[in-house]
Amino acid sequence: MKKILVILTVPLILSVLYACSTTTSIVQVHPEKVVGLSDCRECHPDTWAAFNHRAVGFFEKHRFYAQEQRQACATCHEESFCSDCHARGEIKPSDRYADSPERNLPHRGDYLSQHKIDGRVDPTACAKCHGRQNNERCATCHR
Amino acid sequence: MNIYDTKGRRRPVGLLVRLWACIIALCPLSAAVPAMAGGITLSGESTTIFRIRESIDKKDIYPAYEFLRLSATSLDKAGSLSFYFGGWGRADLGDRSTDKYRDGDLQYGYLSYRAPKGNLVVNLGRQFVAEGVATERLDGVYLRSDFAAGFGAALFAGAPVVTEPNTKGGEFIYGGRITHNMPRYYTIGVSALKSDQNGERYREEEGIDIWLHPLKQIDAVGRSSYNSITSGWMEHDYKLTWNPLDNLSINATYSDINYKDYFFHMTTNVFSLISPSNPTGLIDPNEKVRTVGGSIAYTPIKSVTVAGDYKNYTYEIAGDANYYGGKATFFLPASFVAGFAMHRMDGTTDTLRYSEYRIFVSKKIEHLDITADFFDVNYDRRINGVRNSYTVIGAASYEITPRLRIGADLDYSRNPDYDNEVAGLVKLTYAFDIRRSAEGEGK
Repeated sequence: MKKILVILTVPLILSVLYACSTTTSIVQVHPEKVVGLSDCRECHPDTWAAFNHRAVGFFEKHRFYAQEQRQACATCHEESFCSDCHARGEIKPSDRYADSPERNLPHRGDYLSQHKIDGRVDPTACAKCHGRQNNERCATCHR
Repeated sequence: MNIYDTKGRRRPVGLLVRLWACIIALCPLSAAVPAMAGGITLSGESTTIFRIRESIDKKDIYPAYEFLRLSATSLDKAGSLSFYFGGWGRADLGDRSTDKYRDGDLQYGYLSYRAPKGNLVVNLGRQFVAEGVATERLDGVYLRSDFAAGFGAALFAGAPVVTEPNTKGGEFIYGGRITHNMPRYYTIGVSALKSDQNGERYREEEGIDIWLHPLKQIDAVGRSSYNSITSGWMEHDYKLTWNPLDNLSINATYSDINYKDYFFHMTTNVFSLISPSNPTGLIDPNEKVRTVGGSIAYTPIKSVTVAGDYKNYTYEIAGDANYYGGKATFFLPASFVAGFAMHRMDGTTDTLRYSEYRIFVSKKIEHLDITADFFDVNYDRRINGVRNSYTVIGAASYEITPRLRIGADLDYSRNPDYDNEVAGLVKLTYAFDIRRSAEGEGK
């Protein structure tokens, strides 16, 4: 009985809270097509200026922005843009997009040798993408 | 999505079966959402890739890949209903001697409803969830919305997508995040996730995250995550940017990670913790690393940026390491980009003492794009007799039509694992975007 009450009450509370919201949803598609590494500051002097893709620290901070404003990312980026790196893909992103050297794509150059060093320096950086998934290549040697 | 036989061995489920499972799972949601009277947009991209390279065990392999993404969106005043699909398949055109000569994966496949008010999103299917402590791919449901007075919430539940487990990744995962924000100043969130396996606690993580921008010149993000099963902080990770001038940026970073808590129940063997029951584990649970760093970037003219950066790693067991250097980039949108970077790693062990260099240039000439990229690592101590490891990449692509592009790249490496490695790649990309009005007329 208690479970049924919870199951009925939670959606009701959520519906009431949603009905009280006053924000207008972010547009689905960016009004102007953006090509390449965008500098959002060119049009947005406000909060969105932080999303300047050419800023030195943007790559390290993008995971925080993605959780805060996922829908804002989606106005320009297809879901496949995330899955190119954050899903099992087999081809290194830096190989698949060798013609985009300006992008901060992981594992550039000879990564077979370098991964042993990077793995010692900061294994958590590896684990973010390979800890629980996207790890077939790891399992080839690390059985 | 995997199934297991009675001996606990993984049996892969076929790509088509996975796709159909998602489509069937999505049917109830499509019926629940109001019918869309507006136009429909269909878009997609097919990338066919043919590679020539040498495998780790020195065999020549010729894999052919097909990466496909599709999306369909119906948009009107009641919101939008979309279906997203992304996946790939691979077959080796040369070596078919093992059952691994072909493979594939459904990267995502979900139905999504977005309301015009409150940033309400309902997703159902295989998706990537990023909410506080959760950065997960799952087969399940995701719901988020803004509420009144700056509050918002997100919920998710489903089966974790674990692609090649040494152990299972939990049978079911669920969690959520509650946020409060003042759009001009901050967003602060608290989040949690929980996963069970065989009736036992598998993962329990809680966290707090912030995004502060009290002034136009300041932007700070960060997160602290706590592991309730090991009763320890997994990670503190904070980054601050201060822009005193429009063309000057100063960044500071701080992170603190406890391996015992962070690597708890990873499914990849390489991250297994050493313990009495697992003496062959690779990660020392007593290790901790604190990273403090900073960078300064200056943009004297719009197209040029020069930057210097520094990072110090302090390990509980392994000693210290310092990583520092600089880079410069020249960038003309959709026309030309060039860059140079030079960094030095100074650690207390021989393998953590090396210098790395990178030079790249990419030029667009009408429909042709040409790229050259050079990456070099110079180790202080030889590894497998090699001190200097480098890769040279040349790439070119040509836009046949606005929708169709062909490209190829060739790279050469000399490194501790390969005396001379040559690899090539040819790719053909076809993209389309079709918009139809409610009456079915193309626009």
